[in-house]
Formats: sequence, C-alpha cells, structure tokens
Amino acid sequence: MIRKTRAKGTWLVATVLAVGSLFATALPAHAETGVSSSEIKLGITLPLTGAASPGYNKIGNAMNAYFKYVNDNGGVYGRKITLIQKNDEYSPQLSIAKTNELILKDKVFALVGPLGTANYTSVHKSVGLAKRGVPSLFLNTGFSGFASKKSYPTSFMILPSYAMEAKIIAKFLKENYAGKKLGIVYQNDEFGIDGMGAFKAAGTKFDVSVPYTSGTQSAATAQTWVSQLAAGGAQVVVFFGVTSATAPLLAVAAAAKYAPQWILGSVGADPLTLRALGVPLAVLNGALTPAGNPSPNDTSDEYVKQFQEINTKYNTGTAFDDYVLQGMNIGLMTVQGLRAAGSNPTRKGLISAMESKGSTFASVAYSPLGYSMTSNVGHTGYYMAVMDANGDRKPFGGKVTLYTTDSGSGPVVVSTFKRPAMPAKGLPSNS
Amino acid sequence: MRKKLALFIFLGWILLLVGDRIDELRVYQGAQIAMYAIALSSIVLLTGYSGQVSLGNGAMMAVGGYSAALTLNNLGSPVWFAFVMAVVVSALFGAFLGAAAARLSGPYLAGTTLALAVGLPEIANQFDFLGGVPGILFDVGFPPARFGEEFTQYKWFFWIATFIALLSLFITSNILQSRYGRTWRAIRSNSLAAELSGVHSGRMKILAFTLSSALAGLAGAVMAMTISLVAPGAYTLALSFALVTGAVLAGVSSLPGVVFGALILVAIPEVADVLATRWGGDENLNNYLPGLIVSVLLILSVIFTPNGPGEKLKRRHHKKA
Repeated sequence: MIRKTRAKGTWLVATVLAVGSLFATALPAHAETGVSSSEIKLGITLPLTGAASPGYNKIGNAMNAYFKYVNDNGGVYGRKITLIQKNDEYSPQLSIAKTNELILKDKVFALVGPLGTANYTSVHKSVGLAKRGVPSLFLNTGFSGFASKKSYPTSFMILPSYAMEAKIIAKFLKENYAGKKLGIVYQNDEFGIDGMGAFKAAGTKFDVSVPYTSGTQSAATAQTWVSQLAAGGAQVVVFFGVTSATAPLLAVAAAAKYAPQWILGSVGADPLTLRALGVPLAVLNGALTPAGNPSPNDTSDEYVKQFQEINTKYNTGTAFDDYVLQGMNIGLMTVQGLRAAGSNPTRKGLISAMESKGSTFASVAYSPLGYSMTSNVGHTGYYMAVMDANGDRKPFGGKVTLYTTDSGSGPVVVSTFKRPAMPAKGLPSNS
Repeated sequence: MRKKLALFIFLGWILLLVGDRIDELRVYQGAQIAMYAIALSSIVLLTGYSGQVSLGNGAMMAVGGYSAALTLNNLGSPVWFAFVMAVVVSALFGAFLGAAAARLSGPYLAGTTLALAVGLPEIANQFDFLGGVPGILFDVGFPPARFGEEFTQYKWFFWIATFIALLSLFITSNILQSRYGRTWRAIRSNSLAAELSGVHSGRMKILAFTLSSALAGLAGAVMAMTISLVAPGAYTLALSFALVTGAVLAGVSSLPGVVFGALILVAIPEVADVLATRWGGDENLNNYLPGLIVSVLLILSVIFTPNGPGEKLKRRHHKKA
C-alpha cells in the first residue's frame, strides 16, 4: 500500500517537474517577430557538413558577406541584417528541427534561401510555414510545385524550375543531337522526377535511364551508373543531380575512358567545386550546361565585378564561384525585398511586396522574374553554356541565347529580355 | 487501478491546461517529452524488468514510424489506425527478434541489437517505396477546425502525443505491477531460480521483447508525427544511445523515471546550444555537442551510479523510510 502511494507520488512529482520545466523557460511574444529598431533577423538552413555540402556550404557565408557590406553602408532603413545559419546536413528531419529553432527560438523575421526540395517540402508541412505566415524567400530549389500560390502562399523561388530546365535541354537536344543515343542519370525524388516529367512531355526519349537515391552517391554507385550508360551505348548523357553526385560520375567515367557528350544540369555543374572534388579539367572541357547566371569569372559583368569586390573584403579566403555568386545574389534580392516592404516591415507586408514588386528586382541572372499575385516562380529561363579547358563557362555558340518558358505546356522561346542594371555600388535604393 | 486511472486522467487534464499557457516551442518540446517517455518505457520494460539489454530501440522506432506512415499513405486509413499498425507491426517484428534474443545474453545480445540499430534504418535507402534518404511524409493533418484558429499544429501534436503517452504508460504500469512484471523481475534477479519455480523464461523474455518493441514502435510513430516525416536519418544509432542514456539516468527500472529521462533528452540540445553560443556560436559544434553530452553523461553514470542516479536516489529514499 505504502509502495503504491509512493509510486503515485512519483508520477505526480514527475509530471510537476515536466510542467515546471516547460513553464520556467516560456518566453514572452514580440510585436513583430524578428524586427527591432536596430535589427532584422533572418534565417537559413543548409548543409554545412555532410555528403551534399560541397558548394552549398558557401552560400550562407556569401549571403552574410553581402549583408555585412549592406550593414556597413547603413543597413535597411537603418536596421542591420543578422543572418542565422543552421546546418541541416541536407537531411529533412534535421532541417525541420533547425527551422523550428529559427522560427520558435531565434524568432527570425523570415527564412531566406532554404535549400533542398525534399527538405523544404517536409519543413513547409511540419513547421507550418504558410499557416504561421512566415515569408520564405528565394528557395534554393527548382521544384516546380513550389510555384503554386495555393500550396505555398508565403514561399518564393529564385531558380527556374527543374521542369523549365528540362524543357530547355529537351529543345537543345532536339536541335543539336537528333539521332544520337541519349542517356540520363537523375536523382529519383521531386528534383529529378520534376525534370523527367518535363522531358517526357517534351517528347525526349532516353535510351538509358539511371535513377539514383539522394544520399547514396559515391564512387561505388557511380561505377554502376557508368556501366549502365556504357552498356546502353549512350552518346549524349544528361545529368540531373547534385554536385556531390556529378563528381563521382565524371571521375569514374573518365577512369573507364567512357566519354559521351555530357550535359550537366545547372544544380550540379559548378566547375570550381567539381575540380575541388577531383574531376579532371579534361573531362569538364566541352561539357554543356544550362546556366542562368554569367560565369563567376566574367569580370566584364557589372554584378560579378561588384560581388567579387564584396567577396574579397567580407568573405576573405573564399574562392568566388557559382555558389558564392548565388549567395550574394540572394542577399541582393533579400535587401530589395526588405526595402520594398517599407520602413516598418511586417511579414504580411514583405509577402505583399514580393508579389507586387518582386518581378522588377535587380538580379544577376539573365532571365525575367515571375513573381506575381498568382505565382511564386523566380527566374524563368536559361542559356546553354559550354565549359572550356580552364574550367570556365562560356555561352554555347559564342553569345548568350536566352531561352524562357514555363513549367507547364508553354513553348520554349528565345527571349530578348534585358535584366535590370546592378544598383549603384551594389546597394539597392528601391522602395 | 481506478485510483491510478483517475490520477492519469488528472495528469492529462493538467498537461492540456499547460499546453494552453506556454509558447509554441515549449509545446513542441512537450510533444517530444511525451515521445521520449514512451520510448524510454520500452527500455524500462525490457532492461529494467526482464533484464535484457538492447541497443536497438532506435531501429524498433523506425519500424513503427515506417509502419504508421505506410499505413496512412497507402491505405488512406484514419490516423489512429496508423498508430495501431505501428504497435502491431513493431510487436510482430519484436516477437521475431525476441525469439533470437531469448537465446542470447549480455554482450552478445547487446551486439546483435546494436547491429540492428546500425543496419535497419539504412535498409530504407534500398527500397523506393520507403522513400530513400529523404523519407516519406507522415501527415496527421491539421487540428479539427472546431478548436479554432489559435489552436496550432504543434498543440495538436502535443495533445496526441500526450494522450498516447499517458495511455501507454498507464497500460505499461499495470503490466509491470501484474504477475508478468513480477515474473520478469524474478528472471532478471536469477533466471535459474525462476525456471526452478516453474517460469518459462524463454517465453517470458520473448513476451518482454514483443511488448518493448510495440512501445518503441509507438514512440517511433509519435516521433514521425512531430516531424511529419519518416526517414532513416531520424532513427540513428545516436538516437538508440540517447535512449539508453535517458533510461540509465532516469533509473532503468523506474517507470515514473521515464519522465525525468525524457526531460533530460529534450534539454540536452538546449544546453548544447547555450554552450555552443558561449564558445563562439559554431553551428557545427551545435550539431555535434548533444551527442558528446549524451556520451559523457552515460560514461559518468556508469562509473558513479551503474544503475543510474534515479535508482540511487530511490534506494536512499527507501533506506530512510
């Protein structure tokens, strides 16, 4: 009897302790989350370590470098921007945990540049970004589903969708490699499947199709991909995956003396990262890729020149590549978004500003932005580029031929769009 | 029995009131505490009572998580049925494993279950229907509209997790106080003596493994709910070790102690965050520090209080009484 009473007492004590701990650390709410008179807090989740980290791990620091530059030049209406980076190791469950920290604990105003299709899909659902009204700007993923205003009312893409990219590659294949045996290696999640759907709709038939599961990329798995491609006699191979998968694919193919015409999807085609991962220059020479931005080595480009200067001063020791360029550009667009939201920004105001003014923002990419009241789509096109013997990227055919399209059944057309000029000194003054 | 039921209902009512008065982060952590409490109770039953050491509870949680998600996504079943299937499939898996485990003991059993913890979640990478590394969604849906706009998703998770935790702990508590609990303790104390008294220790060990796996599977499904996802990366070896540490710290044969253990496991990342911030705010440090803290706590506990500080306190309390 005494023992039973004691046991019940222990249960009560246990519960009281649990309740007390939850109460003890409860925090009061703020008027506008993440914005004070002197600071705007932003957050990003990205892989700083792990298999998918090469390249992506530079984006956060590049954004931070740009924000420091803006902060040193007066900030956004006098407020300094603080970017909190969280390492999700490209794992959806870590991404959810880290986004929870950003929103519930760090209380950021908005997310900027969250990375990974599977990650963002589960984060959006689990954390309830839409229901909370948390703006999520410039997603580093091209999954076309994220363009849906109905499903993702507070999210805004930056990359053209994977469907757009696949449609543009399909047109290029038709015009330049008709009659050749085609092969494809793709990541078999929303990323690759989005692209495969568009290839199918465009009538591209691959003679060899090799799916791989995200996270399983290695030299050993690349060996099986190359064996299948070579056995199928693929003369032109499209790769639709991340850089950490491109590298073993190209390295193993080179070792096996298998040399098809490579067409590397934009996600996994940064030459500097590929070289750092051991891909020989000779293999990269002649590889084709759809590109949205100018080459990071093109100092004649006003955006590249300005960003390189910022990188030298605020991101010391980091080589300037596609990822750094992308990070800085997200920074530039974020500042324009914050300015467009007004001197007293609110989450609702930021979303509204993105919808009404986002398509006019200055951005390094050549194609138009598609933000509107009915779409979250970011950039809408690519030009085809070829890598040279120095690992640099040049427009295919000697000049930029920009193709634009949509994620649906719309045609792929050559665009004459002229991107907005870089704001003076790289500091936006829009409102 | 009735008094205990009334006590659990009262505790549930208190927790629901609390859920209305704390901020969302704490509500979410409350759901995590409930999840860990269920998971730790599976260790208490298995190790604390039947004397079998398992390092594979994380793997059993994965079985439950995947079972629940596949049931919900493929059969379009009600959410409660997904949780039931998590229990049933994990129990069946546990019974199968228990049959092998009953023949093993000590380091051999620990080694076998450790291999399970390492290998089982990775199997998900090999089958497309299990979603590979990104995993598959487990969406229990929004809270009912009648609860109002202010009723958040996390509060819904908290309600479900708390209800499941209280129900499973109530049932487990009764099982442990029944003749089954006494028989397991007899086996744990002296297996040979228990057999001479007519106990079929093999069967009873399999039963313990089955029930423990069912609880772990249920915890896995609750975890899947809180992250809306099942993926191999959620059920890591680190999770299995964290559960063992939580159980040891709580007192491995104390069922009420699972609440303390769960609190500690949820508090560790918070402590790690504070330390990482103090030591320069390195995000990588923040990611790896919780694992280090768990390891240090386990080592210290094994050195100074082999049965856990909870057990030591309990014994001291008993001596005074």
